[in-house]
Amino acid sequence: MDISSVSDVKSHCVGTTAVVYASDYLNKLTGEKIERECRRQLAQGCRALVIDFADTQLVNSIGISILLGIIDVAEKNKAQVVFADVNNQTVELFDMLGLTRHVALAKDEQEALLTLSTTVSGFDSTPTVH
Amino acid sequence: MHGANSSDNFRRVLGRVNRQDFVGRVPELERTLAQASPKSNGRGLLLLMKPATGVSELLRQTYDQLFNQRTDVIPVYFAFTRQDTSAVHAAIEFLSSFLQQYIAFRRNEPALCDAALTLQDLLVLAPSADLLWIEQLVQLYERVRSSNDKKELVRLCLSAPQRVPPHLGRSFVMLDGAELAEDLNGDVVLGTEILRVFGRSKQSFVLAGLRRQILEAAHNAKCNFELLDLLRLEELTFDEANSLVDHVARRQQVPTSREVRDLLVQQFGSSPFFISAFLQAAREKNTALISYLDCERLYADELLGGHLNHHFQALLEEIAPELENRLMLIKLLWEGSATEEKTASVDSWRKRLHLSTDECEDVLHQLHIHELVNWNGATIDVTTGSQTWKDFLKVSYRLSVLNEPRALVVADTIGDALKRAPHTMSRHYKRLAQLGLREVALQFDCQRVPEVLFDYASFAKKFKGVSDAEVLAGLESESVRLKLPQTIHVASCLSFNRDLRQVCEEQKCVVVHTFDDGIYSDAQEVIWLIARIDSKLEVEVGLAEVWQERLAELARAHGFGRHRIWLVSNEGFSDDASHYLEARNAFCSSERQLALLIDQLAMTPTSRPTAIEASDEFLIVLPMGEDNELLAASTVEHIARRLTFPPAAINQIKTAIVEACINASEHSFSPDRKIYQRFRLESDRLVVTISSRGILPTNVGSGKASTTNNEDDDATEERRGWGLKLIRTLMDEVEFERVDEGTSLRMTKYVRNGSV
Repeated sequence: MDISSVSDVKSHCVGTTAVVYASDYLNKLTGEKIERECRRQLAQGCRALVIDFADTQLVNSIGISILLGIIDVAEKNKAQVVFADVNNQTVELFDMLGLTRHVALAKDEQEALLTLSTTVSGFDSTPTVH
Repeated sequence: MHGANSSDNFRRVLGRVNRQDFVGRVPELERTLAQASPKSNGRGLLLLMKPATGVSELLRQTYDQLFNQRTDVIPVYFAFTRQDTSAVHAAIEFLSSFLQQYIAFRRNEPALCDAALTLQDLLVLAPSADLLWIEQLVQLYERVRSSNDKKELVRLCLSAPQRVPPHLGRSFVMLDGAELAEDLNGDVVLGTEILRVFGRSKQSFVLAGLRRQILEAAHNAKCNFELLDLLRLEELTFDEANSLVDHVARRQQVPTSREVRDLLVQQFGSSPFFISAFLQAAREKNTALISYLDCERLYADELLGGHLNHHFQALLEEIAPELENRLMLIKLLWEGSATEEKTASVDSWRKRLHLSTDECEDVLHQLHIHELVNWNGATIDVTTGSQTWKDFLKVSYRLSVLNEPRALVVADTIGDALKRAPHTMSRHYKRLAQLGLREVALQFDCQRVPEVLFDYASFAKKFKGVSDAEVLAGLESESVRLKLPQTIHVASCLSFNRDLRQVCEEQKCVVVHTFDDGIYSDAQEVIWLIARIDSKLEVEVGLAEVWQERLAELARAHGFGRHRIWLVSNEGFSDDASHYLEARNAFCSSERQLALLIDQLAMTPTSRPTAIEASDEFLIVLPMGEDNELLAASTVEHIARRLTFPPAAINQIKTAIVEACINASEHSFSPDRKIYQRFRLESDRLVVTISSRGILPTNVGSGKASTTNNEDDDATEERRGWGLKLIRTLMDEVEFERVDEGTSLRMTKYVRNGSV
């Protein structure tokens, strides 16, 4: 697995699924970086997005609103989105603001990829570098 | 201080009474003394006096304190008098008094202050260290005097205290009776010169005078108000005035009863001047004041020919020197105050007084600054002034205008005063027994109080027959709370409609201008109309209807858009009356509810910012931006750990703080780009207040959506509104309010036995 870092956002692809890593604080700036990376991955043909929140300690409402924007963009591209490794407090916030109605949650990245492998046709588990 | 308060060493110099007999003005005395300290840094103090509230003894006591302290502050007291015939005369008198008091201080000989001394005598008495500068001053004075330049002479005399060499001390000048100086126009406007000379002297000073006049003079002299402090002298409180009567009566050896003491305080409106003058008259006439009759006999004597008469006569002679004009003035003033017409036109007065426009304006200006009328340029309100002034006017009118027999006027005056006395006292006792609506309304400042206190039917259902302790416990657990508005102005309803005096007393019905949430916008403005209904039983629907309609009509007549009617009665309201009022969105309470509300107001902290006092309070100020909200989140985490908040709750608090900081940064046009954060730990809660300067867009915090045409923008804007939604969900109590030039968000999180 090769991890790239564009605009400080780490990501890698597993087949047609892009895994994007959120930083410790999801705010406007870091949210926009994730959004740019997701748009880039979708433009390059990704059919699914996994956003990994393993490092994320704190999120704010602007960051969450950007995540919703990413979900909108993914829907328009007919791509699925899974949020992985979200801590309980952040899940609580996502619930409050209705994000969990639009996105699947996975325990970790592996579970996310597994979920997608069963739902996304043409899923290829071979890592690809974009 | 060297024994300044020790009665053994303390010498009375200018004071008319001993320090221990000087009652009722202790805070003001401390304030004037503070003005003399180096800390005041050369600032001037304007003592703004309501007429007849007395200021001279306050200044004389200040003088004596400073004289006895023997520091480098050299007190100088000068009172302008009606004997000062011109500005030059007054200025020369000032120079002479200054030198005399200066030398008395330097020689530590109080008696010199009262001695009759010439300038030559003063030169002889001057200590050797002072001789040179005093000689130079006297020579300069004689030279300027002979030059006939009046303005120069006035300035020289007034600026004499500035010529004291700094190593010999600092003069602290206190000028009394500024309104008299204003009258000594001639070639030099003395009042203006005084303010110019002292305002620019860089030496601390006090200028005392009538409040309406002194501010006007300061504006005319183009004073730098940044270098001036203001102290307002109002009437004494009831207790202070009682104490004053006791002290003066003892000093003047006038036997008085408690009943008369209380009557004097009420009859003279707690005025130290009238009370002292009256008791002095009692002493001069060797009259004991035991009964109301004793009191009112002397009162009639005073109005017709004693100190009170002299005081008002002198004032009228000053305002209208010509006898003919004076009599017409008395006629106009009395007839105006005795009729239903509240105001008269300036033009009608000018014609009846046979004065030019300027002359008429001079007369009105004088009456206005002495608060004998309210003059606004076009109309004159003659219903103002003290009861004593009105009584004086009446006797003067009957004697001088109607030429009625003196004996008849005396008898009627005594009779009228005796008939009025029980009513005066009964009103006073009622006021004491009842909680003031005005005072209650003035305390409204966005507190949250149990709503049941404004709903008699619900209150009676829950708490009738319940002990006070149980009621208090019950109120504590009341979850339905009413957020009071912020009061900006309270006035009697009689100020809006004089006709209402036929149905209620002045203090029993008030009009309260307020803003909900302390937000100053048309939408948030609410006028409360509060009335207290006299009733020994529960108020029935008929009476409730009359009052509701009366107040609603008042609101209509004055165009009060949003208004709230609140009726209070001793025993509450019948079920029908309560339902009638509820249907009209009016509040109703019993006296017991009102008393409980006052307790609640005393206990409930205002949601407005206060100074940091407690040791369990923390304040941090962060620049906006740069992810500084993380610093705030980190700080609050440490603070929250001091209580037993579980980790999840701490995270909620942190998120809320982050959102509040973002909100402050995004929405306020803050001039300093700073976020002020206050954290207060209480036994069971953490209270966080986030505030910032700057004006907030009207949709933020009001729950109103913003307007935008773009659909995407709509979605984004909606999402951006999530901050407050999150805060409200994460915290237990959230209060958002606009404060002067800024916003404040107060959030409370309770500790709940380890659970979130």
